[in-house]
Amino acid sequence: MPLGVTIPEKEVLRYMGYHGITKVEPDTQVRIGKAIDQVESQSHPRIVTKEYPIRVRGNDITVYNGTEEIVLTSESLARNLKGCCGAVLLAATIGPACDMLVRRASVTSSADASIYQAAGAAAIEAFLDDYNDKLEKEYAAQGLFLRPRFSPGYGDLKLDHQKDWFRLLDISKQIGVELTDSLLMVPTKSVTALIGIGIDKSKVGCSGCSECGKHDTCAYSKEDK
Amino acid sequence: MGLRERLGKEWLFCDGGTGSILQGLGLKGGELPETWNLTRPDDIKALNKSYFDAGSNIVNTNTFGANRFKFDNVSEIVTAAVKICQQARKEAGREDDAYVAIDVGPTGKLLEPMGDLPFNVAVDVFAEIIKAGYEAGGDLVLIETMSDSYEAKAAVVAAKEVCDLPIIVTMVYDETGKLLTGGGVEGTVAMLEGLKVDAVGINCGFGPTQMLPIAERLVKCCSLPIVVNPNAGLPRTENGVTVYDVDPDDFASVMEQIAKLGVHVMGGCCGTTPDHISKMINTVKAVPFTAPTVKNETYVTSFADCVKIGKKPVIIGERINPTGKKKLQQALRDHNTDYLLTEALKQEEAGAHILDVNVGLPEIDEPSMMEDVVLKIQSVTNLPLQIDTTNIEALERGMRIYNGKPMINSVNGKEENIKAVMPLVAKYGGVLVALPLDEGGIPETSDGRIAIAKRIYEEADRYGIPRKDIVIDGLAMTVSSDPNSAIATLDTVRRVRDEFDGHSILGVSNISFGLPARELVNSHFLTMAMQNGLSCAIINPCNGPMMASYRSFNALMNLDPNLQEFITAFKDYVAGSATVASTKSSGAASGAVLTLGEAIERGVVGRAAEAMKEALDSGRDSLEIIDSELIPSLDRVGKGFEAGTIFLPQLLMSADAAKAAFAVVKEAMADKPRNTKGQVIMATVKGDIHDIGKNIVKVMLENYGYDVIDLGKDVPPEVIVDCAIENNIKVVGLSALMTTTVASMEETIKLMREKKPDTKIVVGGAVMTPEYADQIGADAYAKDAMATVRYCDSVFEGSV
Repeated sequence: MPLGVTIPEKEVLRYMGYHGITKVEPDTQVRIGKAIDQVESQSHPRIVTKEYPIRVRGNDITVYNGTEEIVLTSESLARNLKGCCGAVLLAATIGPACDMLVRRASVTSSADASIYQAAGAAAIEAFLDDYNDKLEKEYAAQGLFLRPRFSPGYGDLKLDHQKDWFRLLDISKQIGVELTDSLLMVPTKSVTALIGIGIDKSKVGCSGCSECGKHDTCAYSKEDK
Repeated sequence: MGLRERLGKEWLFCDGGTGSILQGLGLKGGELPETWNLTRPDDIKALNKSYFDAGSNIVNTNTFGANRFKFDNVSEIVTAAVKICQQARKEAGREDDAYVAIDVGPTGKLLEPMGDLPFNVAVDVFAEIIKAGYEAGGDLVLIETMSDSYEAKAAVVAAKEVCDLPIIVTMVYDETGKLLTGGGVEGTVAMLEGLKVDAVGINCGFGPTQMLPIAERLVKCCSLPIVVNPNAGLPRTENGVTVYDVDPDDFASVMEQIAKLGVHVMGGCCGTTPDHISKMINTVKAVPFTAPTVKNETYVTSFADCVKIGKKPVIIGERINPTGKKKLQQALRDHNTDYLLTEALKQEEAGAHILDVNVGLPEIDEPSMMEDVVLKIQSVTNLPLQIDTTNIEALERGMRIYNGKPMINSVNGKEENIKAVMPLVAKYGGVLVALPLDEGGIPETSDGRIAIAKRIYEEADRYGIPRKDIVIDGLAMTVSSDPNSAIATLDTVRRVRDEFDGHSILGVSNISFGLPARELVNSHFLTMAMQNGLSCAIINPCNGPMMASYRSFNALMNLDPNLQEFITAFKDYVAGSATVASTKSSGAASGAVLTLGEAIERGVVGRAAEAMKEALDSGRDSLEIIDSELIPSLDRVGKGFEAGTIFLPQLLMSADAAKAAFAVVKEAMADKPRNTKGQVIMATVKGDIHDIGKNIVKVMLENYGYDVIDLGKDVPPEVIVDCAIENNIKVVGLSALMTTTVASMEETIKLMREKKPDTKIVVGGAVMTPEYADQIGADAYAKDAMATVRYCDSVFEGSV
C-alpha cells in the first residue's frame, strides 16, 4: 500500500536544511523527485489511535485508561492542553521500506542518503497532517476543536513517556513499531503524539518547534527567524 | 498418543483469548498478566480449565510475555504457568487427549539490522523461556503472534536447541497477507517449513472473516498442518473496557467455512471465550477432515522477497566472490563492507534474483566475516542470498543469522561433506546446491554425475531434506581443456530435469576459462543450458550479452508475460551495441566537458571520477592533482557552506564526487603507501541507531585526507576506548541524536578520560549544543561536518 498522500517538496527541502529556498539545481531536483516517488510508492502507512478522557491541573496531565491513571508532567503540554478534557493518543509509521531506502542510498551517496532521510521525515508528517485534517472535521461536527499534535520529547515532556504510549496503544502489535532501549522508534519514520480535544479554538503554545530549546538556532525550524 | 502423531491426521483445537477474561477478573492496565501465575494461580488455573472443559486439545500456558525484558524471574514464572496448566488439565479430566503448550510471544523488540536486538540474543531470550517450560513438563512449544519472520526464526532455533518438543508457529498477517515487517504468506511458510516446525498458521490481527483469504493462501502453499486462531472480530472500547463484535455463534459459522478450506487446527485469539471455542468445536467437528498435501514449489526467500525456482530460470549474481577479484579481496582485508554492498546493489539493479555471497580468503576470519556480510547485505536489499563457502563454521554462522530461507552453495557427494553440511540444512532450512562429484573426483560423463546426484538425493531423504530443495550443479568446466565438457554438462542438466524432475544450476562462465571473447561463449552456452532445462544461472548480471541471452530466452519461451521484462530492458537498445545492460544512466554525459574541479563543485560523481582518471592518464602526479584541483574546489564548497551560501545537499554531492575521484587515485596507487593526515575514530554512541550524520562527517574527513576508523552505530564505550588505545588515536568523533543517548556519550567520554586521557573528543548531533558538549566534558563541539574537519585540522596541526 503506497503512502496515499503527496509528499510536499517544500518540506523535503526544509528537512534537508535549505532555508528560504524553493528552487534548487536541476540535478538535485531530479534526485529529490526520484526519492519522493520511491518513498511514496514503497511506504506502507499504519496508524493506531485511541481517545482518552484527560484532566489538566497545573503542569500535570492525567490520562484516564479505565481504572488506570497515567500522569504526564509538562509545562509546555499543559499549556497546549489548557481547557481540554479529552485527548487522542496516536502512533503512526510509514513502515520499514523507507529505512531501507536510506540505508541503500548511504552505500553509494551521502547526498542521496540525506535526501531519502528528508523525504521520509516529510512523508510521515504529510501522512499525519492528512489524518489530522480528517480528525479535525470529525470533531468539528461535534462542536469540538483539536489542538496541535504534541509528541513525547517535545518541550519538557519527557521522552520516557514513549513507554506509556507503547503500552496504552499496543503499538508493536498494532503497527509494527518497536522501541529501542534508548527510546527510539524503529522503523525510524514513526511518530507518537497526543492531540488535545477542546471546546474552544485556542491554540497556545502551538507547534513543537516553538517549544523546542534549539528553536532559535535549528536549521530545520518551521518558522522564519 | 503424542501430539506429533495426531497433528494433520484429525481435528485438533486450540484455546481462545485470555487478556479480556483476566481484565474481567480485575487485571489492571499496566499490570503484567504473567505475574498472576505467582500471585493468583487459582484464577489462572480456572482460566486454563475453562478451555480444557470447552474441548480444546491445546491450551496455552500464561507465558505470552514472560521474557527477560519484562521479568527477572522468567524461569519461576514459566514453571508456575506450566504446573498450573497441568493441574487444570488434570482437574478437567483431559490428561489423555489434551496438551500443555508453552506459549511464546514476541519480545517487543525489533531485531538487528532494523532494530537493536541481536539475533543471537533473541535466541537466548527465547531459549530461557522454552527451557523452563520444557523442564516443567510442557508438551509443545507454541510460538504465536509473530509479526516478524526473523523473530519467529529466532524462537524456533531456540526451541530446537533446548528440546525436541513439537513446534507450532502462528504469525500475524494484515489483510493483504503481509507481515508488519513486509514478508508474505508464501515466503514465511517456506522459511518455517525449512526450519522443520510441526505446524504453521495465523493468529490475531483480525476476525475470522478477514482471515479467510489468508487461510486460503496457506492451504495453497503449505505442506504442513495449518493452524487458524482468529480474534473475535474487531475491538472497540465501551466504558473503558475492550469488547469484540463477533459472538460465539457467528464465530463458529465462519470457522466452519475456514475448516472446509482444508485447515487442521483451529482456535481463537483476542476476545474469544470458552463459549466461542466450544461452539466452534461442535460445528467444525462435523466438517470432514482433509490431511495436508505435499506441495512441490521450491522457494528461496528473504524477509520480504520470495524467489521461485522452477520453469523460469533464476539469475544468481556472482560478483560477491573474491576469486580472481583483486579489489574485492582488498575490500575484505580492509573490512570495507561498503564495497560489497555496492556490488550487491549493482547486481540487483542489473536484474539478479538471488545474490551469491562468498567471502573466503585465507587471511581473514571467514565465519565472522560471513555473519557480518550476510547481515549487512540483508539490511540494504530484499534479494535472497546464496551462502557460498566450503568453511562449515562460516556456513553455519551465515545460515543462522540469515533472515529467510537461503540457498546453500554447496554440498558434494563425499561422505564427509554430506555429514557436515546436511545436518545444518536440516536444522536451519535452505535450498541446497549439490555438486555431483565425490571421493573419485569429477565424473567426465553425465552418467557418472547423475549417479552421484542420485546418491545425494537419497542422502537428503535420510536427513529429511525434501528433494525439491536440492539443486544439482551440472559442473561447467572449460572447453579449452576438455572438448566434451560442455556436452557432458548440458546432458547432466537435461537429465536432472527429465530423470529426477529436479532443479539444476551452473556457474556458467567457467565454460570459457582460458578463451578469448569469453562473453560470447558464455552467453551462447547459457542459452543452450536454459534450453536443456537449467533452473539457476550463476552469472555476472552486469554483463550485457549474458542478460541479453537470458531475456531473449524468456521472451521466446513464453516465460515473460507480455514481453514486459524484455521491452523494459531493451527499449533504448541501439542495434549492434550488445553491451547495453544497465538500466541506470550514469549522468556523466551531462557533465562531459567539466574539469575535475568543476565536477566536484557541481557534484557530478561520474565526471569527477572520469576527470581524475584522465588527469592520471596524462601522466600528472596524483598528489599534485589533489592539492591543486581537488582540495581547492572542495574547500570552495566547504567555505560556501560555512558562510551559508551553499546548503547541505550541495556539500554532500561535492563530497560524493570528491570521494569518487579519490577512489580512482586509491585504485591507481593500490600498491603504494598512502599519505594521510592521521587516524580519526568516528562512532554513533551506544543506544543510538542514527548514522547519517556520522557518515557525512566520515566522508568529509576522508576527503580532507584523514584515515577514518568507522566503528558504526550503537557502539559501546569500551569498544571506542579500546580502539583508541589500540591505534593510539588522537581524535575521536562521537555522534548522538537524542537526549537519551547523550548519556552514553558522557559515559564514553568519562571512560576515555580514565583510560586514555590524551585523546581529544569532538561531539555533534541534533541535540548537541556547545554548552551541552562542555557539560559532558567533550573537548569540542562541532555543529556540522565542516566544523569537524576544521577541528581535526587544528589538532593535527598542533594548535590545540
